[in-house]
Amino acid sequence: MHFHMIIVAVFWFGFVDSRKIRGISSSYKRFFRERKSFLCIDGSKIIPFEQVNDDYCDCEDGSDEPGTSACPQGRFYCTNLGFRPHYIPSSRVNDGICDCCDASDEYNSHAHCQNACWNLGQRERAYVEGQMRTLDEGLQLKQQLIEEGVLLWREKQAQLRELQQVAEDLQTKLEERRSRKQEADRLKEQTPRPPEAGDGRLFRGQNSTVTGTFKLLDSNKDGSITVDEVQAKVALVHDEERVLSEDEAVALLGGDHQMDLTTFQHTLWDILTNGGRVKIKDTHGAPGVGEDPPLKVADREWEATNLKKVEEAYDTVNMEISDLREKLAIDYGPDWEFLFLNSQCYKLKVYERWGMWEGPPKNQYGRMVYENGEPCWQGGSRSTTVTLTCGTETALRSVKEPSKCQYIMDFQTPVACQPVLKQRGIHSEL
Amino acid sequence: MAPVLVLWLAMSLSGTWAVDKGNFKTCDQSAFCKRQRALKPGDSPYRALLETMELTNTRLTLQLINDNNKVRLLLELYRLQGNMTRVKINELKPLKPRFEVPDVLITEPSTEPLSLLSQDENGVVLSLGTESQRVIISARPFRLDIMEGPEVLMSLNSRGLLAFEHLRMRKDTSLLIHILAQWMISIFKEEEEKVDGMWEETFKSHSDSKPNGPSAISLDFSLPGVEHVYGIPEHADTLRLKTTDNGDPYRLYNLDVFQYELYNPMALYGAVPVMLAHKAQRTTGIFWLNAAETWVDISSNTAGKVCSSETPQTDVRWISESGIIDVFIMLGPTPKDVFSQYASLTGTQSFPPLAAVGYHQCRWNYNDQEDVASVDAGFDEHDIPYDYIWLDIEHTDGKRYFTWDSHKFASPKEMLQALEDKKRKMVAIVDPHIKVDSNYKIHNEIRNKGFYIKNKDGGDYEGWCWPGSAGYPDFTRPDMRAWWASMFAYDQYEGTAENLYTWNDMNEPSVFNGPEVTMHKDAVHGAWEHRDVHNLYGLYVQMATAEGQIQRSGGVERPFVLTRAFFAGSQRYGAVWTGDNAAEWDHLKVSIPMCLSLGLVGISFCGADVGGFFKSPSTELLVRWYQTGAYQPFFRAHAHLDTPRREPWLFGPENTALIRDVVRQRYTLLPYWYQQFYHAYRTGEPIMRPLWVEYPQDPATFALDDEFLIGKDLLVHPVTEEGARGVTAYLPGKDQVWFDVHTFQKHNGAQSLYIPVTMSSIPVFQRGGSIIPRKMRVRRSSSCMTHDPYTLYVALNLQRTAEGELYIDDGHTFNYEKKEFIHRRLSFAKNMLSSVNLATDAEFSTGSWIERIVILGASKPSKVTLKTADGQESQLEFDFDASMSVLTLRKPGVNAGLDWNVMLQ
Repeated sequence: MHFHMIIVAVFWFGFVDSRKIRGISSSYKRFFRERKSFLCIDGSKIIPFEQVNDDYCDCEDGSDEPGTSACPQGRFYCTNLGFRPHYIPSSRVNDGICDCCDASDEYNSHAHCQNACWNLGQRERAYVEGQMRTLDEGLQLKQQLIEEGVLLWREKQAQLRELQQVAEDLQTKLEERRSRKQEADRLKEQTPRPPEAGDGRLFRGQNSTVTGTFKLLDSNKDGSITVDEVQAKVALVHDEERVLSEDEAVALLGGDHQMDLTTFQHTLWDILTNGGRVKIKDTHGAPGVGEDPPLKVADREWEATNLKKVEEAYDTVNMEISDLREKLAIDYGPDWEFLFLNSQCYKLKVYERWGMWEGPPKNQYGRMVYENGEPCWQGGSRSTTVTLTCGTETALRSVKEPSKCQYIMDFQTPVACQPVLKQRGIHSEL
Repeated sequence: MAPVLVLWLAMSLSGTWAVDKGNFKTCDQSAFCKRQRALKPGDSPYRALLETMELTNTRLTLQLINDNNKVRLLLELYRLQGNMTRVKINELKPLKPRFEVPDVLITEPSTEPLSLLSQDENGVVLSLGTESQRVIISARPFRLDIMEGPEVLMSLNSRGLLAFEHLRMRKDTSLLIHILAQWMISIFKEEEEKVDGMWEETFKSHSDSKPNGPSAISLDFSLPGVEHVYGIPEHADTLRLKTTDNGDPYRLYNLDVFQYELYNPMALYGAVPVMLAHKAQRTTGIFWLNAAETWVDISSNTAGKVCSSETPQTDVRWISESGIIDVFIMLGPTPKDVFSQYASLTGTQSFPPLAAVGYHQCRWNYNDQEDVASVDAGFDEHDIPYDYIWLDIEHTDGKRYFTWDSHKFASPKEMLQALEDKKRKMVAIVDPHIKVDSNYKIHNEIRNKGFYIKNKDGGDYEGWCWPGSAGYPDFTRPDMRAWWASMFAYDQYEGTAENLYTWNDMNEPSVFNGPEVTMHKDAVHGAWEHRDVHNLYGLYVQMATAEGQIQRSGGVERPFVLTRAFFAGSQRYGAVWTGDNAAEWDHLKVSIPMCLSLGLVGISFCGADVGGFFKSPSTELLVRWYQTGAYQPFFRAHAHLDTPRREPWLFGPENTALIRDVVRQRYTLLPYWYQQFYHAYRTGEPIMRPLWVEYPQDPATFALDDEFLIGKDLLVHPVTEEGARGVTAYLPGKDQVWFDVHTFQKHNGAQSLYIPVTMSSIPVFQRGGSIIPRKMRVRRSSSCMTHDPYTLYVALNLQRTAEGELYIDDGHTFNYEKKEFIHRRLSFAKNMLSSVNLATDAEFSTGSWIERIVILGASKPSKVTLKTADGQESQLEFDFDASMSVLTLRKPGVNAGLDWNVMLQ
């Protein structure tokens, strides 16, 4: 080592003019122009020029020893002709391990380093070419997926709008139903409830009044109930399907063929409320009934059922809307390119919840995190970090468990292909 | 590494986090301890039969008789070279031989002449060699006093607690004809014996058949003037041992204790039956050579008293389950004399390969080769050096040691080569329990050779451990050990290479379904019971493994083997760690007294799992632990399988930088550390040592265990409190000065100094008067730094002098034994720093040179002249920092192996 240094020194004195400063890139050459003295690059100190690369660290910033291991903060420039140039920490100079492919870091060590830059360059070029092909193909596929994504996005948006329209309609209906029900409730409260017997059966639990019931039976609204009208609206309790015969209807009308409100109150009304033999037919859904605005003889139960159905429909639609909204609120990337992955299953038998994109700022969509998965034995819950890499097909490449219940997946997909990568291309040095 | 699965399940159910004490015996649950402890101080039933005395030049023998049962004992007394006295007591005519511990003493100790000074019917006075030391043997009751001048150094049986349970025939197995004759007597006797657990004992569901009946031994020692006793590791307790009057004695019984509790006398993984007693004027030691379960009681007449007119005295009492009394009394008088006395008996710390002194990265488990490669790359990416990456049990094929999992580690040689390419190494675990599997070569060979330990009925002993049903090779057999060693040959242990080393875990031995998670005491090792040899098992495992590593290289390369269980003498075979600790601040704190205690009894190469094994450390705790671990001899991070990853770069750039910084501090100090290891190997002195060892007359140091010295020149006070804003370090030495190694600030000795700390602080001080060599070019691994130059840190004392050493060898072979090394004395006096050869008969050449000399506490010279061996003189450039009085000499450039001097004018 000592000998070697002497030889180096001799060499220096002999060939001062052609001397090259070891370990610097061409852009740093201006700092090392041959002068009597050298100014540390941070400007902190001036040292004699002989002390540059003399294997002793003089500058705080390590700038006087770019070619030796003397400075703790220093770095050494591997020129690596034929491959990629790069810096290594000074501590890797002459440590017996070949770091620069041009072997320039081991100029005074026991290591026998071969210049491997050309081979590495070859390999790198082949690799980069392969990557480029993958990238090209991937980007095309990505474009398709983006287009599909956009279509899908629009479709979903349309779907959302539709659903929102339906919801609005339903809401109107709901309000209407609610007010009707309230009206019915009010009417019921006004009329004292008949004795409990038969109540449920006759009027299906709905409150009703004499006038209301009369109006209900009086289909043509002429102020009297006829045999036809009774046959249409009244049925036997035990056989709702069978239409009453004319005789039966006449009997209900007190032997007459028609009946006014006053008579009704004293005859048929009594039968309907107390008899338990006949009842008002279930007119549910009968045309015209729903639209009948002033419900004078309202079927309370029927109104409640109706309301419930509308409410259910409304809830269902709203659920679909929030579902869709939630899905649409997920960040599918700037072009919705990740939309197609929604609800796709790439198998792993642990259930986790989607957390967020968590790539580095430059490539935010490069990594996704799933958290709060199934509980792990000995506490905690499972979590997965998925790294997305550019590839021509969408597939799970590998799954690892570096710590218990913490998984790392490598997921390949065209949508992870970034045009940026392509622009970087192969270095001019290659 | 290893928790106990069975207990673990129980733990997770109970939901608490602490040792399940119910799994381990108290003294009351250990029949012999209970029997012995029931004896109270008083008149000893033993009487010396002076007429039986025989005195040769080197040996005194004398019979003792127990007046209660008339059983005779034989006392042997030797004066050993180096100011030691050995006292052996055995039955005069035992029914069968009693176990005497083999393989722990490095040789039969050399004796010195004894001479009779006086004798009468009350006793005998012997002269111990040339000094004014005497032994007084009192006859009635029997008692031994070791005197120096008028001072009693130590008394044996002064409290009358000598007890020796003689071997006897079991009454119900007596010959048939005796049965009738003895029927009346025996019926009473047996009742009594059953109660005492003399012939059978059960603990939990385990029964100990005790075919030999009671065999316990006990002896008391009085230490006049002593208030501080240390040693008898392994316990998770303070450095200064506590009195045991109000609780259990300290227990020595190698056990795999799951989630051990701190600050109590429970037994742990290893046992070294050596106690040091210290007072300002003298340090002495007691080495109780017995490998059976042992309990040590300590009492003190001044304990708990603020002010006492009595002369302080500490009384200790040793109780062992079997074997004989064989005790070495080390008479000091200095701490270093005791270390050298003990080293002359059991040997010194093995000199490890330099790399083993670097940083170790471990985890249960690095999953596969790819994982290993990526962790390795992580260290380079973050520019953190390391030397060894470790593989725990999951690397094997189904916990079959000496094999590799063929999926995860398909090409171990390639993996090792990749590490070798970066001059790094690997450790793979090899535990002593062997899977019972007829398709497993190791098992078949051990079984066919009859090498397994046998159960009481003569079959191969089987217990549960990691692989399920497992056999336990009988490492007490030399032929078994030789076979085991041969298994490490490269053609036997497939997939291995020179840079693969070994870790022996679970060698207490751990038996998941055994009593106290270990082996049944009635298991059989040839002529002996497991009861007799228990605490030796771990030592033998490491011995055989280290031997295997030496053999595989043809005796050229130094081994590196880590063990969890240990005994007296284990220092000869490698490193130990403090077992399965936890990621808690108290565990960080206790790592200091635990390693200090081990160092005092010869085992210097000690460390605790950095970060804590169980549970997950907070970032602050992890950083603090790295800072502490970097200044302890064995520096390894380790983590439980269930914890999240904690490689140094996973806690954000700031914390990565903090960890990087302290690991790099370790690497710059490797020359100093290595020199300490060499010194420990030569002298037996601890590397990490309590302050009292260097300042034996300063009582302020006697109980300190939150700071320590490395060698004698570096004082470390780690930060072990959560959220600490400062620590108070005691800097010893009245006329001493100490330099903060980070700021070079000078502090006076014999003061408690408050040091404000931040997260980057690790308070370390260099003693004024010392010279410490460093290598400032920290590289990927220690091997990468072999040829690097040295920076010498010269810290001047008040007399403006300093001394230090520089030791250099190849770092990995046994060639240092062939005098292939450089050992130089560096000294600064009268403004001249010089390097002179300390080992003129040794020869080695190095490429390393002197890069820089930093003189702390210097004044500014006008001229600095370097003079080399050939008489050449040259001027050195220098830089003087007046604010801190630091003089830096630029690039002397002389080869580190040569003579030179530097003159300041």
